[in-house]
Amino acid sequence: MTPNSYPPGKINNLPAPAAFMLALVLSLITGGALTLITRIAHLNKTTIAFIFLLPVVFSASMWGLLPGLLAAIVSFLVFNFFFIPDLYTFQVKQTEDFLVLGAFLVAAIVISELVGRVRRNVTAAAAREHEAIRLYEFSSLLAATTDQLSTTRVILDMIDQTIPASRIEVFIESSPEALLLSRGSIQNGKLLAKPIIFPLQTARDLIGEIRLWTEKPIIETDERLLKIFASQGSLSIERTRLAEAARKALILEESDRLKSSLLSSVSHELRSPLAAIKASVSSLRLGVVDWDSEARTELLTTIEEEIDHLNILVGNLLDMSRIEAGVLEPQKKPNILREIANAALGRIHPLAQNIRIQLDIPEELPLVNVDFIQLQQVFYNLLTNSIKYSPPGSAIKINATPKNPSFVQTRLTNQSLPLPESDMERIFDKFYRINPSERITGSGLGLSICKGIIEAHGGKIWAENLIDGIAFNFTLPIASHD
Amino acid sequence: MTNPIRVLVIDDEPQILRALKTILAARQFHISTAANGEEGLAVAAAEQPDLIILDMSLPDMEGLQVCKELRAWTLTPIIILSVRDSEKDKVAALDAGADDYLTKPFGIQELLARIRVALRHKSQSTNESKRTIVRSGKLEIDLAGFTVKKENLEVSLTATEFKLLAYLANHAGRVLTHHIILSNVWDPAEADKIEYLRVYMRQLRKKLEEDPEQPKILITEPGIGYRFMADE
Repeated sequence: MTPNSYPPGKINNLPAPAAFMLALVLSLITGGALTLITRIAHLNKTTIAFIFLLPVVFSASMWGLLPGLLAAIVSFLVFNFFFIPDLYTFQVKQTEDFLVLGAFLVAAIVISELVGRVRRNVTAAAAREHEAIRLYEFSSLLAATTDQLSTTRVILDMIDQTIPASRIEVFIESSPEALLLSRGSIQNGKLLAKPIIFPLQTARDLIGEIRLWTEKPIIETDERLLKIFASQGSLSIERTRLAEAARKALILEESDRLKSSLLSSVSHELRSPLAAIKASVSSLRLGVVDWDSEARTELLTTIEEEIDHLNILVGNLLDMSRIEAGVLEPQKKPNILREIANAALGRIHPLAQNIRIQLDIPEELPLVNVDFIQLQQVFYNLLTNSIKYSPPGSAIKINATPKNPSFVQTRLTNQSLPLPESDMERIFDKFYRINPSERITGSGLGLSICKGIIEAHGGKIWAENLIDGIAFNFTLPIASHD
Repeated sequence: MTNPIRVLVIDDEPQILRALKTILAARQFHISTAANGEEGLAVAAAEQPDLIILDMSLPDMEGLQVCKELRAWTLTPIIILSVRDSEKDKVAALDAGADDYLTKPFGIQELLARIRVALRHKSQSTNESKRTIVRSGKLEIDLAGFTVKKENLEVSLTATEFKLLAYLANHAGRVLTHHIILSNVWDPAEADKIEYLRVYMRQLRKKLEEDPEQPKILITEPGIGYRFMADE
């Protein structure tokens, strides 16, 4: 659509003076033609009157009521002057002629009135159709918008295509920030003129306004359209604002949920070892256990184990905050992957009493360019996670193969229950635990740390369900030979 | 022991100072303490301790800087204390002349073992009475005779393998960074070729360890280097 098509119902409209001129000329030509015809053949007055109706009907239907009336009067005068005795005067002698002339005038006026009215109705119907189409387009465009900016742009485009204006501005008040879109140039002095303003008003408050600078006053239909644009646009902006608010509320709720699960899991994880340590130490200090008793050894073992546990947890929290802050800098060096996995296994074995762990990383695997400690952490976390969820007597297998000249893919499989497909990615999210109410404890940090470390090495990590378990896969860069 | 061993602990945490003081005093060490780097350097110069335990994060200056300034005038063994994830700093301190490191939190057995090893190296380097036979489990290395025996059977090593093993065994019990090993066993120009070291260590473990997958003699110090574990 271009502004040129505006408005389709008025395409045939001529400027008023031209229409009147044409109506006049048409009536005179008809008169001239009839004069010539009556020289050759005899026409009676009724026929002539009938023919004189033609320019009237034509003018009324083409150019409207007033040109039609003009044609009627001119035709009446020409008819009277040239065809009614006394000829070439406007005097009328015979009663019959009076009647013919009178009937002609009445008929001509009534016809031009009727035809003109039909024509007006057609024009109005076309204008209404145009208006309806624009409104339909407008509402379907608005329905597709999802944010304030695109809604505002739709309003601006629609006005630009509908109303001939030298400048259009759509202004939205702050919330969250003020927005002003405009179309059309600022010509010197033009903007000094006051714009026509249509407020953008919602049920609750005024949210902005449409400002128009036009060279000519706005016609009634356009004004009606603009008012509808303004009200529909306001509703749409309010809708996008509400949608945005709802989305934010959802995010807040989610992060709130995360925070409370963090607090409950971390405070539980931190407090229980502290409680055990405090209880053990205070009973040792009170002297309620004998210096050489088995109970004393037991208490001391508890203290040491719980301290190690706390140390790991604090390490995890620190790792997580480093990953979040983007300051986890791997000290990448050429390493033998099998050696790293073995180092992790050395820390794991005491935990995995009922689980067989099978390391199947080939000797001839190229060296990988990784941070030894961080990768050991990845193996450790994946292994502790797998042990936690594996049934007793099951097996965990680790293997690795070069995938292409620059990456090695490691795969750790266990025989735990399959994961819901929807959780395949989320298990690597911070503090995400598939079923926090389960008896199995954990901070929900292990896998997200793995993801952070692997990604810091330029690799990828993902999980997949197998027929009888789960596989964790991750890729690592091969050390280049130089 | 008539003269107690004098240990200087430089750490800004009073709890650590108190704990180390109590524990080490119970082991017949004479302990002095300093709460920052300046004070530590002053006490070290005044008291000439036999061993210095140095925390890497001090309020007034970097532990690394303290280490460098100490090494400018003394060979007193330095054991550094630091937290996990500061391997870069540890390696820098070790390369700057520190003898060993401990990661907080540490067990007291570990600390005592490190102190023993550091003091032994000190006495060896001052007395010029280096051991020529090093034993570790079923392994016996004759540094002077260029032979290695495992369960009394001679193990054949290539020249480079022996050179590497001999260097590690000579510093038994002590952590050696990749950089130090590479520049001493190979060449300072090849000090960053860690892949050589990895491959040779794998060969040595296969020939010498009971279980090369879980080595007991040639220990990996993650992110830092290697340590040869000898019998005490």
